Amino acid sequence: MMDKMIFGRYIPGDSVIHKLDPRVKLLASFYFIGIIFLCNNWQSYTLMFLFTLLALSLSKIKPSFIINGLKPLFWLILFTVVLQILFTRGGEVYFKWGILSVTELGLMNGIFIFCRFVLIILISTLLTLTTPPLSLSDAIEYLLRPLEVVKFPAHEVSLMLSIALRFVPTLMDETEKIMNAQRARGVDFGEGNIMDKMKSIVPLLIPLFVSSFNRAEDLATAMEARGYKGGEGRTKYRVLKWQSRDTLTALVFVVLTVILVYVRN
Amino acid sequence: MVMDIQFEQVGYTYQPDTPFAFCALKDINLTIKEGSYTAIVGHTGSGKSTLLQHLNALIKPTAGVVKIGDRLITTDTPNKNLKEVRKEVGIVFQFPEAQLFEETIEKDVAFGPKNFGVEGEELKKVVRDSLQMVGLDDSYLERSPFELSGGQMRRVAIAGVLAMKPSVLVLDEPTAGLDPRGRKEMMGMFYDLHKEQGITIVLVTHLMDDVANFADYVIVLEKGQVIKQGLPKQVFTDTQWLTTQQLGVPAATTFAQQLMARGFQFDTIPLTTKELAQEIAKILRKSGEQV
Repeated sequence: MMDKMIFGRYIPGDSVIHKLDPRVKLLASFYFIGIIFLCNNWQSYTLMFLFTLLALSLSKIKPSFIINGLKPLFWLILFTVVLQILFTRGGEVYFKWGILSVTELGLMNGIFIFCRFVLIILISTLLTLTTPPLSLSDAIEYLLRPLEVVKFPAHEVSLMLSIALRFVPTLMDETEKIMNAQRARGVDFGEGNIMDKMKSIVPLLIPLFVSSFNRAEDLATAMEARGYKGGEGRTKYRVLKWQSRDTLTALVFVVLTVILVYVRN
Repeated sequence: MVMDIQFEQVGYTYQPDTPFAFCALKDINLTIKEGSYTAIVGHTGSGKSTLLQHLNALIKPTAGVVKIGDRLITTDTPNKNLKEVRKEVGIVFQFPEAQLFEETIEKDVAFGPKNFGVEGEELKKVVRDSLQMVGLDDSYLERSPFELSGGQMRRVAIAGVLAMKPSVLVLDEPTAGLDPRGRKEMMGMFYDLHKEQGITIVLVTHLMDDVANFADYVIVLEKGQVIKQGLPKQVFTDTQWLTTQQLGVPAATTFAQQLMARGFQFDTIPLTTKELAQEIAKILRKSGEQV
Protein backbone atom coordinates (compact mmCIF):
# COMPACT_ATOMS: atom_id res chain seq x y z
CA MET A 1 0.00 0.00 0.00
CA MET A 2 2.70 2.44 1.07
CA ASP A 3 4.88 1.50 -1.86
CA LYS A 4 2.58 3.19 -4.33
CA MET A 5 3.74 6.66 -3.34
CA ILE A 6 5.80 7.63 -6.34
CA PHE A 7 5.53 11.38 -5.76
CA GLY A 8 8.86 12.73 -4.69
CA ARG A 9 10.79 9.51 -4.89
CA TYR A 10 14.33 9.70 -6.28
CA ILE A 11 14.87 7.63 -9.41
CA PRO A 12 18.53 6.90 -10.08
CA GLY A 13 19.88 7.76 -13.52
CA ASP A 14 22.83 9.36 -15.25
CA SER A 15 21.21 12.03 -17.39
CA VAL A 16 22.50 15.61 -17.61
CA ILE A 17 19.82 16.68 -15.16
CA HIS A 18 20.87 14.01 -12.68
CA LYS A 19 24.47 15.13 -12.88
CA LEU A 20 23.79 18.81 -12.26
CA ASP A 21 24.99 20.24 -8.98
CA PRO A 22 22.12 19.98 -6.48
CA ARG A 23 22.65 23.63 -5.52
CA VAL A 24 22.04 24.67 -9.11
CA LYS A 25 18.99 22.45 -9.39
CA LEU A 26 17.51 23.74 -6.17
CA LEU A 27 18.13 27.40 -6.94
CA ALA A 28 17.02 26.99 -10.54
CA SER A 29 13.78 25.34 -9.48
CA PHE A 30 12.99 28.15 -7.06
CA TYR A 31 13.96 30.71 -9.66
CA PHE A 32 11.77 29.01 -12.26
CA ILE A 33 8.81 28.97 -9.88
CA GLY A 34 9.47 32.67 -9.27
CA ILE A 35 9.48 33.69 -12.91
CA ILE A 36 6.34 31.68 -13.64
CA PHE A 37 4.55 34.56 -11.96
CA LEU A 38 5.89 36.92 -14.63
CA CYS A 39 3.87 35.08 -17.29
CA ASN A 40 0.74 36.92 -18.32
CA ASN A 41 -0.19 35.70 -21.79
CA TRP A 42 -0.39 32.42 -23.63
CA GLN A 43 2.95 32.96 -25.41
CA SER A 44 4.80 33.20 -22.14
CA TYR A 45 3.10 30.11 -20.71
CA THR A 46 3.89 28.19 -23.91
CA LEU A 47 7.52 29.19 -23.52
CA MET A 48 7.61 27.93 -19.94
CA PHE A 49 5.89 24.67 -20.92
CA LEU A 50 8.35 24.09 -23.75
CA PHE A 51 11.23 24.71 -21.38
CA THR A 52 9.79 22.30 -18.79
CA LEU A 53 9.21 19.61 -21.42
CA LEU A 54 12.80 20.01 -22.58
CA ALA A 55 14.08 19.61 -19.03
CA LEU A 56 11.84 16.59 -18.46
CA SER A 57 12.98 14.89 -21.65
CA LEU A 58 16.63 15.56 -20.78
CA SER A 59 16.12 13.75 -17.47
CA LYS A 60 15.19 10.53 -19.37
CA ILE A 61 12.59 9.66 -16.76
CA LYS A 62 9.54 7.70 -17.89
CA PRO A 63 6.60 10.07 -18.43
CA SER A 64 4.37 7.76 -16.37
CA PHE A 65 6.37 8.61 -13.23
CA ILE A 66 5.92 12.30 -13.83
CA ILE A 67 2.20 11.94 -14.42
CA ASN A 68 1.97 9.95 -11.19
CA GLY A 69 3.52 12.95 -9.48
CA LEU A 70 0.66 15.12 -10.68
CA LYS A 71 -2.14 12.79 -9.64
CA PRO A 72 -2.15 13.32 -5.85
CA LEU A 73 -2.61 17.06 -6.34
CA PHE A 74 -5.39 16.77 -8.91
CA TRP A 75 -8.20 17.76 -6.52
CA LEU A 76 -6.32 20.75 -5.18
CA ILE A 77 -5.74 22.03 -8.71
CA LEU A 78 -9.35 21.46 -9.70
CA PHE A 79 -10.63 23.24 -6.60
CA THR A 80 -8.47 26.32 -7.16
CA VAL A 81 -9.26 26.51 -10.85
CA VAL A 82 -13.03 26.26 -10.23
CA LEU A 83 -12.83 28.98 -7.57
CA GLN A 84 -10.94 31.24 -9.97
CA ILE A 85 -13.42 30.67 -12.77
CA LEU A 86 -16.47 31.25 -10.60
CA PHE A 87 -15.35 34.25 -8.59
CA THR A 88 -13.23 36.34 -10.96
CA ARG A 89 -15.21 38.95 -12.89
CA GLY A 90 -14.41 40.98 -15.95
CA GLY A 91 -14.91 40.95 -19.68
CA GLU A 92 -17.71 39.16 -21.42
CA VAL A 93 -20.16 37.25 -19.17
CA TYR A 94 -20.93 33.71 -20.38
CA PHE A 95 -23.03 32.47 -17.47
CA LYS A 96 -24.46 33.94 -14.28
CA TRP A 97 -26.17 32.39 -11.24
CA GLY A 98 -26.45 34.43 -8.06
CA ILE A 99 -22.99 35.60 -7.00
CA LEU A 100 -21.41 32.98 -9.28
CA SER A 101 -20.52 33.94 -12.78
CA VAL A 102 -18.34 32.61 -15.56
CA THR A 103 -16.66 35.50 -17.35
CA GLU A 104 -13.97 35.88 -19.94
CA LEU A 105 -11.45 37.12 -17.42
CA GLY A 106 -12.39 34.39 -14.95
CA LEU A 107 -11.91 31.70 -17.56
CA MET A 108 -8.55 33.15 -18.58
CA ASN A 109 -7.42 33.36 -14.97
CA GLY A 110 -8.56 29.80 -14.36
CA ILE A 111 -6.53 28.52 -17.28
CA PHE A 112 -3.47 30.50 -16.19
CA ILE A 113 -3.72 29.24 -12.60
CA PHE A 114 -4.00 25.73 -13.94
CA CYS A 115 -0.85 26.24 -16.04
CA ARG A 116 1.03 27.68 -13.06
CA PHE A 117 0.09 24.75 -10.87
CA VAL A 118 1.10 22.17 -13.43
CA LEU A 119 4.39 23.93 -14.15
CA ILE A 120 5.28 24.26 -10.47
CA ILE A 121 4.46 20.63 -9.76
CA LEU A 122 6.30 19.40 -12.85
CA ILE A 123 9.46 21.29 -12.04
CA SER A 124 9.50 20.32 -8.37
CA THR A 125 8.76 16.69 -9.26
CA LEU A 126 11.67 16.83 -11.68
CA LEU A 127 13.88 18.17 -8.88
CA THR A 128 13.00 15.39 -6.43
CA LEU A 129 12.99 12.64 -9.06
CA THR A 130 16.51 13.47 -10.22
CA THR A 131 18.18 14.52 -6.96
CA PRO A 132 18.96 12.12 -4.10
CA PRO A 133 17.45 13.50 -0.88
CA LEU A 134 20.86 13.62 0.75
CA SER A 135 22.33 15.82 -2.00
CA LEU A 136 19.33 18.04 -1.65
CA SER A 137 19.93 18.52 2.05
CA ASP A 138 23.63 19.15 1.34
CA ALA A 139 22.58 21.85 -1.07
CA ILE A 140 20.24 23.37 1.48
CA GLU A 141 23.00 23.41 4.06
CA TYR A 142 25.33 25.16 1.63
CA LEU A 143 22.74 27.73 0.66
CA LEU A 144 21.77 28.43 4.27
CA ARG A 145 25.35 28.83 5.41
CA PRO A 146 25.48 32.62 4.95
CA LEU A 147 22.74 32.81 7.59
CA GLU A 148 25.13 31.40 10.18
CA VAL A 149 26.34 34.96 10.62
CA VAL A 150 23.06 35.69 12.35
CA LYS A 151 23.38 32.47 14.42
CA PHE A 152 21.09 30.43 12.19
CA PRO A 153 21.87 26.70 12.77
CA ALA A 154 22.34 25.78 9.09
CA HIS A 155 24.14 22.51 9.76
CA GLU A 156 21.62 21.35 12.34
CA VAL A 157 18.68 22.15 10.09
CA SER A 158 20.20 20.22 7.24
CA LEU A 159 21.03 17.32 9.55
CA MET A 160 17.45 17.23 10.79
CA LEU A 161 16.28 17.22 7.21
CA SER A 162 18.59 14.35 6.23
CA ILE A 163 17.56 12.30 9.24
CA ALA A 164 13.88 12.92 8.56
CA LEU A 165 14.28 11.89 4.92
CA ARG A 166 16.37 8.87 5.81
CA PHE A 167 13.72 7.53 8.17
CA VAL A 168 10.68 7.91 5.93
CA PRO A 169 11.00 4.38 4.47
CA THR A 170 11.86 2.95 7.90
CA LEU A 171 8.77 4.53 9.39
CA MET A 172 6.65 3.21 6.55
CA ASP A 173 7.90 -0.33 7.14
CA GLU A 174 7.24 0.09 10.83
CA THR A 175 3.71 1.34 10.15
CA GLU A 176 2.98 -1.65 8.00
CA LYS A 177 4.33 -4.04 10.62
CA ILE A 178 2.31 -2.54 13.45
CA MET A 179 -0.80 -2.39 11.26
CA ASN A 180 -0.41 -6.09 10.57
CA ALA A 181 0.06 -6.89 14.23
CA GLN A 182 -3.05 -4.93 15.20
CA ARG A 183 -5.09 -6.35 12.35
CA ALA A 184 -4.11 -9.78 13.61
CA ARG A 185 -5.57 -8.67 16.96
CA GLY A 186 -8.89 -7.89 15.30
CA VAL A 187 -8.63 -4.22 14.26
CA ASP A 188 -10.30 -3.29 10.98
CA PHE A 189 -8.51 -0.24 9.66
CA GLY A 190 -10.69 1.97 7.49
CA GLU A 191 -13.95 0.26 8.35
CA GLY A 192 -17.02 1.40 10.24
CA ASN A 193 -18.06 5.00 10.89
CA ILE A 194 -15.71 7.92 11.40
CA MET A 195 -15.48 7.35 15.17
CA ASP A 196 -14.45 3.73 14.64
CA LYS A 197 -11.87 4.83 12.12
CA MET A 198 -10.36 7.38 14.49
CA LYS A 199 -10.33 4.87 17.32
CA SER A 200 -8.51 2.33 15.17
CA ILE A 201 -5.70 4.83 14.58
CA VAL A 202 -4.72 4.95 18.27
CA PRO A 203 -3.25 1.43 18.43
CA LEU A 204 -1.21 2.35 15.37
CA LEU A 205 0.00 5.82 16.36
CA ILE A 206 1.11 5.13 19.92
CA PRO A 207 3.48 2.26 19.03
CA LEU A 208 4.82 4.39 16.17
CA PHE A 209 5.57 7.29 18.51
CA VAL A 210 7.16 5.01 21.06
CA SER A 211 9.41 3.37 18.53
CA SER A 212 10.35 6.70 16.94
CA PHE A 213 11.44 8.12 20.29
CA ASN A 214 13.40 4.98 21.05
CA ARG A 215 15.01 5.11 17.64
CA ALA A 216 15.90 8.79 18.03
CA GLU A 217 17.64 8.04 21.30
CA ASP A 218 19.52 5.09 19.80
CA LEU A 219 20.56 7.19 16.83
CA ALA A 220 21.84 10.00 19.06
CA THR A 221 23.86 7.52 21.10
CA ALA A 222 25.25 5.87 17.98
CA MET A 223 26.25 9.24 16.54
CA GLU A 224 27.96 10.36 19.72
CA ALA A 225 29.71 7.02 20.02
CA ARG A 226 31.20 7.71 16.61
CA GLY A 227 32.42 11.11 17.67
CA TYR A 228 29.74 13.41 16.34
CA LYS A 229 29.77 16.78 18.08
CA GLY A 230 27.98 19.18 15.80
CA GLY A 231 28.84 20.92 12.56
CA GLU A 232 31.89 22.83 13.78
CA GLY A 233 35.00 21.77 11.86
CA ARG A 234 33.19 18.82 10.30
CA THR A 235 34.44 17.80 6.86
CA LYS A 236 32.22 16.56 4.06
CA TYR A 237 32.04 13.11 2.55
CA ARG A 238 30.11 14.32 -0.49
CA VAL A 239 31.85 17.46 -1.68
CA LEU A 240 29.79 19.59 -4.03
CA LYS A 241 31.75 20.67 -7.11
CA TRP A 242 30.71 23.41 -9.48
CA GLN A 243 31.20 22.30 -13.09
CA SER A 244 30.90 23.88 -16.50
CA ARG A 245 27.46 22.35 -17.07
CA ASP A 246 26.29 24.18 -13.98
CA THR A 247 27.49 27.49 -15.38
CA LEU A 248 25.76 26.57 -18.63
CA THR A 249 22.50 25.93 -16.78
CA ALA A 250 22.74 29.33 -15.14
CA LEU A 251 23.25 30.90 -18.58
CA VAL A 252 20.25 29.03 -19.98
CA PHE A 253 18.15 30.54 -17.23
CA VAL A 254 19.40 34.03 -18.03
CA VAL A 255 18.43 33.50 -21.67
CA LEU A 256 15.04 32.11 -20.63
CA THR A 257 14.39 35.18 -18.50
CA VAL A 258 15.31 37.54 -21.32
CA ILE A 259 12.98 35.77 -23.78
CA LEU A 260 10.23 35.70 -21.17
CA VAL A 261 10.47 39.43 -20.52
CA TYR A 262 10.37 39.97 -24.27
CA VAL A 263 7.24 37.85 -24.96
CA ARG A 264 5.14 38.92 -21.98
CA ASN A 265 2.84 41.89 -22.34
CA MET B 1 -14.57 -27.22 12.52
CA VAL B 2 -11.30 -28.75 11.40
CA MET B 3 -8.66 -26.01 11.36
CA ASP B 4 -6.28 -27.39 8.79
CA ILE B 5 -4.51 -24.72 6.79
CA GLN B 6 -3.87 -25.67 3.22
CA PHE B 7 -1.89 -23.86 0.50
CA GLU B 8 -2.63 -24.82 -3.09
CA GLN B 9 -0.25 -23.44 -5.71
CA VAL B 10 0.00 -20.21 -3.81
CA GLY B 11 2.06 -17.38 -5.25
CA TYR B 12 2.56 -13.84 -4.03
CA THR B 13 4.05 -10.89 -5.87
CA TYR B 14 4.71 -7.54 -4.21
CA GLN B 15 3.67 -4.48 -6.24
CA PRO B 16 2.64 -6.44 -9.32
CA ASP B 17 2.69 -4.61 -12.68
CA THR B 18 5.17 -1.96 -11.54
CA PRO B 19 8.91 -1.67 -12.12
CA PHE B 20 9.29 -2.70 -8.46
CA ALA B 21 7.44 -6.03 -8.85
CA PHE B 22 8.96 -8.72 -6.66
CA CYS B 23 7.89 -12.35 -6.55
CA ALA B 24 8.09 -13.45 -2.91
CA LEU B 25 6.29 -16.80 -3.09
CA LYS B 26 6.00 -19.23 -5.98
CA ASP B 27 3.85 -22.33 -6.32
CA ILE B 28 3.59 -23.17 -2.62
CA ASN B 29 1.79 -26.41 -1.76
CA LEU B 30 1.59 -27.39 1.87
CA THR B 31 -0.74 -28.43 4.65
CA ILE B 32 -0.57 -27.46 8.28
CA LYS B 33 -2.61 -30.11 10.06
CA GLU B 34 -4.78 -29.34 13.05
CA GLY B 35 -2.95 -30.15 16.27
CA SER B 36 0.47 -30.29 14.64
CA TYR B 37 3.63 -28.39 15.60
CA THR B 38 5.02 -27.22 12.27
CA ALA B 39 8.35 -25.48 11.90
CA ILE B 40 9.12 -23.25 8.93
CA VAL B 41 12.82 -22.69 8.33
CA GLY B 42 14.74 -20.81 5.69
CA HIS B 43 17.17 -17.95 5.22
CA THR B 44 16.22 -14.32 5.61
CA GLY B 45 14.41 -13.27 2.46
CA SER B 46 13.24 -16.80 1.69
CA GLY B 47 9.60 -15.74 1.98
CA LYS B 48 8.87 -16.95 5.51
CA SER B 49 7.30 -13.70 6.66
CA THR B 50 5.19 -13.40 3.53
CA LEU B 51 3.97 -16.96 3.92
CA LEU B 52 3.14 -16.29 7.53
CA GLN B 53 0.91 -13.34 6.68
CA HIS B 54 -1.14 -15.64 4.47
CA LEU B 55 -1.99 -17.80 7.47
CA ASN B 56 -4.66 -15.40 8.71
CA ALA B 57 -5.41 -13.53 5.51
CA LEU B 58 -3.40 -10.40 6.36
CA ILE B 59 -2.40 -10.62 2.73
CA LYS B 60 -4.17 -12.50 0.01
CA PRO B 61 -2.35 -14.69 -2.49
CA THR B 62 -1.88 -13.24 -5.97
CA ALA B 63 -2.14 -16.79 -7.31
CA GLY B 64 -3.64 -20.00 -5.96
CA VAL B 65 -5.84 -20.68 -2.94
CA VAL B 66 -5.27 -20.65 0.81
CA LYS B 67 -7.75 -22.76 2.77
CA ILE B 68 -8.05 -21.76 6.42
CA GLY B 69 -10.44 -24.20 8.05
CA ASP B 70 -13.41 -24.02 5.71
CA ARG B 71 -12.67 -20.50 4.46
CA LEU B 72 -11.16 -20.13 1.01
CA ILE B 73 -8.89 -17.13 0.53
CA THR B 74 -8.04 -16.11 -3.03
CA THR B 75 -6.98 -12.91 -4.76
CA ASP B 76 -10.60 -11.80 -5.07
CA THR B 77 -11.66 -12.45 -1.47
CA PRO B 78 -13.14 -9.21 -0.11
CA ASN B 79 -11.46 -7.65 2.90
CA LYS B 80 -14.60 -7.83 5.00
CA ASN B 81 -15.57 -10.61 7.39
CA LEU B 82 -12.02 -11.84 7.84
CA LYS B 83 -12.26 -11.33 11.61
CA GLU B 84 -13.29 -14.90 12.32
CA VAL B 85 -10.22 -16.16 10.50
CA ARG B 86 -8.03 -13.79 12.50
CA LYS B 87 -9.62 -14.94 15.74
CA GLU B 88 -8.84 -18.57 14.94
CA VAL B 89 -5.26 -17.93 13.82
CA GLY B 90 -3.23 -15.77 16.21
CA ILE B 91 0.11 -14.42 15.04
CA VAL B 92 2.95 -13.43 17.32
CA PHE B 93 5.08 -11.28 15.05
CA GLN B 94 8.81 -10.73 15.35
CA PHE B 95 9.52 -8.37 18.23
CA PRO B 96 5.84 -8.25 19.19
CA GLU B 97 6.56 -5.76 21.99
CA ALA B 98 6.24 -3.11 19.27
CA GLN B 99 2.47 -3.60 19.22
CA LEU B 100 1.86 -2.52 22.84
CA PHE B 101 -0.02 0.75 23.16
CA GLU B 102 -2.43 0.81 26.11
CA GLU B 103 -1.97 2.58 29.45
CA THR B 104 -2.12 -0.60 31.47
CA ILE B 105 -1.09 -4.15 30.79
CA GLU B 106 -4.62 -5.33 31.54
CA LYS B 107 -6.09 -3.10 28.85
CA ASP B 108 -3.47 -4.08 26.32
CA VAL B 109 -3.96 -7.80 26.78
CA ALA B 110 -7.73 -7.24 26.66
CA PHE B 111 -7.51 -5.39 23.35
CA GLY B 112 -7.54 -8.48 21.13
CA PRO B 113 -10.37 -10.42 22.79
CA LYS B 114 -12.40 -7.19 23.08
CA ASN B 115 -12.18 -6.72 19.33
CA PHE B 116 -13.62 -10.20 18.96
CA GLY B 117 -16.52 -9.45 21.26
CA VAL B 118 -15.41 -10.88 24.62
CA GLU B 119 -16.76 -8.80 27.53
CA GLY B 120 -17.16 -8.43 31.29
CA GLU B 121 -16.03 -11.12 33.70
CA GLU B 122 -15.03 -13.44 30.89
CA LEU B 123 -12.68 -10.78 29.53
CA LYS B 124 -11.10 -10.23 32.95
CA LYS B 125 -10.60 -13.94 33.39
CA VAL B 126 -9.09 -14.44 29.98
CA VAL B 127 -6.63 -11.57 30.58
CA ARG B 128 -5.55 -13.02 33.93
CA ASP B 129 -5.17 -16.50 32.53
CA SER B 130 -3.11 -15.33 29.59
CA LEU B 131 -0.77 -13.31 31.80
CA GLN B 132 -0.43 -16.32 34.05
CA MET B 133 0.56 -18.44 31.08
CA VAL B 134 3.44 -16.12 30.20
CA GLY B 135 4.52 -16.04 33.84
CA LEU B 136 3.25 -12.63 34.96
CA ASP B 137 1.04 -12.44 38.08
CA ASP B 138 -1.90 -10.15 38.89
CA SER B 139 0.37 -7.44 40.30
CA TYR B 140 1.20 -6.50 36.72
CA LEU B 141 -2.40 -5.78 35.67
CA GLU B 142 -2.39 -2.08 36.56
CA ARG B 143 1.15 -1.30 35.48
CA SER B 144 2.08 0.43 32.26
CA PRO B 145 3.55 -1.89 29.63
CA PHE B 146 6.17 0.75 28.84
CA GLU B 147 7.88 0.55 32.22
CA LEU B 148 8.71 -3.14 31.80
CA SER B 149 11.95 -4.69 30.61
CA GLY B 150 12.19 -5.84 27.00
CA GLY B 151 11.66 -9.48 27.92
CA GLN B 152 8.60 -8.69 30.03
CA MET B 153 7.13 -6.53 27.28
CA ARG B 154 7.53 -9.49 24.97
CA ARG B 155 5.58 -11.64 27.43
CA VAL B 156 2.77 -9.10 27.66
CA ALA B 157 2.53 -8.91 23.87
CA ILE B 158 2.39 -12.69 23.61
CA ALA B 159 -0.28 -12.77 26.34
CA GLY B 160 -2.22 -10.31 24.17
CA VAL B 161 -2.30 -12.87 21.37
CA LEU B 162 -2.97 -15.85 23.65
CA ALA B 163 -5.94 -13.96 25.13
CA MET B 164 -7.70 -14.26 21.77
CA LYS B 165 -7.77 -18.00 22.39
CA PRO B 166 -6.69 -18.89 18.88
CA SER B 167 -6.79 -22.50 17.78
CA VAL B 168 -3.70 -21.94 15.64
CA LEU B 169 -0.77 -19.99 17.04
CA VAL B 170 1.81 -18.66 14.60
CA LEU B 171 5.16 -17.67 16.11
CA ASP B 172 7.67 -15.64 14.12
CA GLU B 173 11.02 -16.09 15.88
CA PRO B 174 9.39 -15.59 19.27
CA THR B 175 12.64 -15.86 21.22
CA ALA B 176 14.84 -13.53 19.16
CA GLY B 177 16.75 -11.26 21.50
CA LEU B 178 15.80 -13.09 24.70
CA ASP B 179 18.34 -14.48 27.16
CA PRO B 180 18.81 -18.28 27.24
CA ARG B 181 16.60 -18.69 30.29
CA GLY B 182 13.77 -16.59 28.87
CA ARG B 183 14.11 -18.50 25.62
CA LYS B 184 13.79 -21.85 27.34
CA GLU B 185 10.80 -20.77 29.42
CA MET B 186 9.04 -19.29 26.43
CA MET B 187 9.53 -22.31 24.20
CA GLY B 188 8.49 -24.60 27.07
CA MET B 189 5.31 -22.55 27.55
CA PHE B 190 4.37 -22.85 23.88
CA TYR B 191 5.02 -26.57 23.92
CA ASP B 192 2.80 -27.00 26.98
CA LEU B 193 0.01 -25.10 25.25
CA HIS B 194 0.40 -27.38 22.28
CA LYS B 195 0.38 -30.55 24.39
CA GLU B 196 -2.28 -29.60 26.92
CA GLN B 197 -4.74 -27.60 24.87
CA GLY B 198 -4.07 -29.11 21.49
CA ILE B 199 -3.25 -25.75 19.93
CA THR B 200 -1.75 -26.00 16.47
CA ILE B 201 1.60 -24.25 16.40
CA VAL B 202 3.48 -22.84 13.44
CA LEU B 203 6.99 -21.81 14.40
CA VAL B 204 9.22 -19.73 12.15
CA THR B 205 12.79 -20.01 13.35
CA HIS B 206 16.50 -20.12 12.59
CA LEU B 207 17.23 -22.34 15.54
CA MET B 208 17.44 -25.96 14.44
CA ASP B 209 17.56 -27.11 18.05
CA ASP B 210 14.08 -25.70 18.61
CA VAL B 211 12.90 -27.51 15.50
CA ALA B 212 14.41 -30.80 16.69
CA ASN B 213 13.08 -30.40 20.22
CA PHE B 214 9.51 -29.41 19.49
CA ALA B 215 8.34 -29.69 15.89
CA ASP B 216 6.66 -32.73 14.38
CA TYR B 217 6.76 -31.36 10.83
CA VAL B 218 9.32 -29.20 9.03
CA ILE B 219 8.96 -27.03 5.94
CA VAL B 220 12.10 -25.63 4.34
CA LEU B 221 11.69 -22.49 2.24
CA GLU B 222 14.23 -21.08 -0.19
CA LYS B 223 13.75 -18.22 -2.62
CA GLY B 224 9.99 -18.31 -2.18
CA GLN B 225 9.63 -22.02 -2.82
CA VAL B 226 9.23 -25.08 -0.63
CA ILE B 227 12.40 -27.07 -1.24
CA LYS B 228 11.81 -29.76 1.36
CA GLN B 229 9.14 -30.81 3.79
CA GLY B 230 8.63 -33.79 6.05
CA LEU B 231 9.19 -35.13 9.54
CA PRO B 232 12.20 -33.65 11.34
CA LYS B 233 13.84 -37.11 11.16
CA GLN B 234 13.57 -37.12 7.38
CA VAL B 235 14.75 -33.56 6.93
CA PHE B 236 17.65 -33.76 9.36
CA THR B 237 18.89 -37.16 8.19
CA ASP B 238 20.36 -35.57 5.09
CA THR B 239 22.90 -33.54 7.02
CA GLN B 240 25.04 -33.05 3.94
CA TRP B 241 22.16 -31.37 2.12
CA LEU B 242 21.43 -29.16 5.13
CA THR B 243 25.04 -28.08 5.28
CA THR B 244 25.12 -27.18 1.59
CA GLN B 245 21.94 -25.16 2.12
CA GLN B 246 23.71 -23.50 5.07
CA LEU B 247 20.71 -24.11 7.26
CA GLY B 248 22.57 -25.72 10.11
CA VAL B 249 21.97 -28.94 11.97
CA PRO B 250 20.82 -29.43 15.59
CA ALA B 251 23.71 -29.40 18.06
CA ALA B 252 23.06 -33.00 19.12
CA THR B 253 23.19 -34.16 15.50
CA THR B 254 26.47 -32.35 14.91
CA PHE B 255 27.85 -33.97 18.05
CA ALA B 256 26.73 -37.38 16.85
CA GLN B 257 28.33 -36.79 13.46
CA GLN B 258 31.66 -35.96 15.04
CA LEU B 259 31.41 -39.13 17.09
CA MET B 260 30.64 -41.06 13.92
CA ALA B 261 33.73 -39.63 12.27
CA ARG B 262 35.70 -41.21 15.12
CA GLY B 263 34.16 -44.63 14.63
CA PHE B 264 30.87 -44.60 16.55
CA GLN B 265 27.88 -46.33 14.96
CA PHE B 266 24.36 -44.99 15.54
CA ASP B 267 21.18 -46.93 14.68
CA THR B 268 19.27 -43.70 14.19
CA ILE B 269 20.78 -40.26 14.00
CA PRO B 270 19.83 -38.39 17.21
CA LEU B 271 18.23 -34.92 16.86
CA THR B 272 17.91 -33.89 20.49
CA THR B 273 20.21 -34.04 23.46
CA LYS B 274 17.93 -36.61 25.05
CA GLU B 275 18.06 -38.91 22.05
CA LEU B 276 21.81 -38.46 21.83
CA ALA B 277 22.25 -39.47 25.47
CA GLN B 278 20.06 -42.52 24.98
CA GLU B 279 21.94 -43.60 21.86
CA ILE B 280 25.31 -43.17 23.54
CA ALA B 281 24.12 -45.06 26.58
CA LYS B 282 22.92 -47.87 24.32
CA ILE B 283 26.27 -48.07 22.56
CA LEU B 284 28.22 -47.97 25.80
CA ARG B 285 26.05 -50.71 27.26
CA LYS B 286 26.68 -52.85 24.19
CA SER B 287 30.42 -52.34 24.31
CA GLY B 288 30.30 -53.04 28.08
CA GLU B 289 28.70 -56.42 27.34
CA GLN B 290 31.43 -57.22 24.89
CA VAL B 291 34.11 -56.50 27.46
